Amino acid sequence: MTAPISPVTSTPAIEAPRLDSITSGQGNGSEFRSLLSSAIQHVEVAQNKADTAVQGFLSGENDELHSTILATQRADLEFDMFLQVRNKVVSAYQEIMRMQI
Amino acid sequence: MSLFNSLDVSASGMAAQRARAEVLVENLANADTTRTAEGGPYRRKDVVFESSATASPFSSVFQSAIDGQATGVQVSQIVTDSSAPVMRYMPGHPDADKDGFVAFPHVNPAEDMVDLMGASRGYGANVAAMSAIKDMIQRSIDLFR
Amino acid sequence: MLDGVGVNSLEQYMTLLADRQKLVAANIANADTPGFKTKDIDFQTEFTNALQGTQPNVTEVQGLVVKNDGNNVSLDREARLLAENALRFNIASNLLRGQIHTLRMAIEGGGGSSA
Repeated sequence: MTAPISPVTSTPAIEAPRLDSITSGQGNGSEFRSLLSSAIQHVEVAQNKADTAVQGFLSGENDELHSTILATQRADLEFDMFLQVRNKVVSAYQEIMRMQI
Repeated sequence: MSLFNSLDVSASGMAAQRARAEVLVENLANADTTRTAEGGPYRRKDVVFESSATASPFSSVFQSAIDGQATGVQVSQIVTDSSAPVMRYMPGHPDADKDGFVAFPHVNPAEDMVDLMGASRGYGANVAAMSAIKDMIQRSIDLFR
Repeated sequence: MLDGVGVNSLEQYMTLLADRQKLVAANIANADTPGFKTKDIDFQTEFTNALQGTQPNVTEVQGLVVKNDGNNVSLDREARLLAENALRFNIASNLLRGQIHTLRMAIEGGGGSSA
């Protein structure tokens, strides 16, 4: 038994995703934004720790050289990660942009 | 910075052992010196070692507990033997006194030779320590690769 | 990132080894200092407590022969410890390097982002 076909009502207009929806934090834009901002925060924290460690090394306050080097390596890796995340986010956005036509 | 500080500790050990060796060599060379510029026989010298804190120009006032404990060494003083010299009966000797006795230094060559070997071993141990620590610092730097 | 237990433990291990090596160097430098007593840290205990970030306790080593001038440094013991600490530091630094390398590979994946 098939259901009766209902009359076609008005279809919603297909809207292009707008850039300001990302910056205003509405809709899917907010997910991209929070991804990027959390990755950036990790980078900032790691960078600060690395800077402190290097300052400590220069002024002679630091405990050990390997700790300083590890701090800079961690900051490096965080930044690397952030770059990859950013690249993926940008290419995903571009893909969506391409899709709507 | 403190592994770098350890290099100073080992360096101080090397310097101290070298000073010890120099004094011992002087003793050995003058074991039979009966006449010196100050008059009288050569008087043997000994070094006195003392623990000392080492500070490099790169270190700061914030020393960790370990740095306070990992002390170097320094020669605090060189003691000149002031005891009476060894008198030997040698009437024909140019430095003999009116009774025919000659004053000789209190140097026991066998003892000082053994001591010298100890100084040499100590010096070598400090060189090995410095080399090991330099290697550890290098390994830390290799973490960059 | 890199705050996992594995990497932090290695870093603490290396720090403790460096601390121990500093004391070995001091013992060797003072091998002939009258009255000097051999110093060390209790490695296992300190490593277990390392995550608390406190400074390790320096103790005087028991059971060593005391010479006439009060010094109890044994160059044989110190030479052995010198070699052991250096080798362990070597191992730990290689392990750490490997971990950093692995993480970097994981992050960079198959060579850059896909189009």
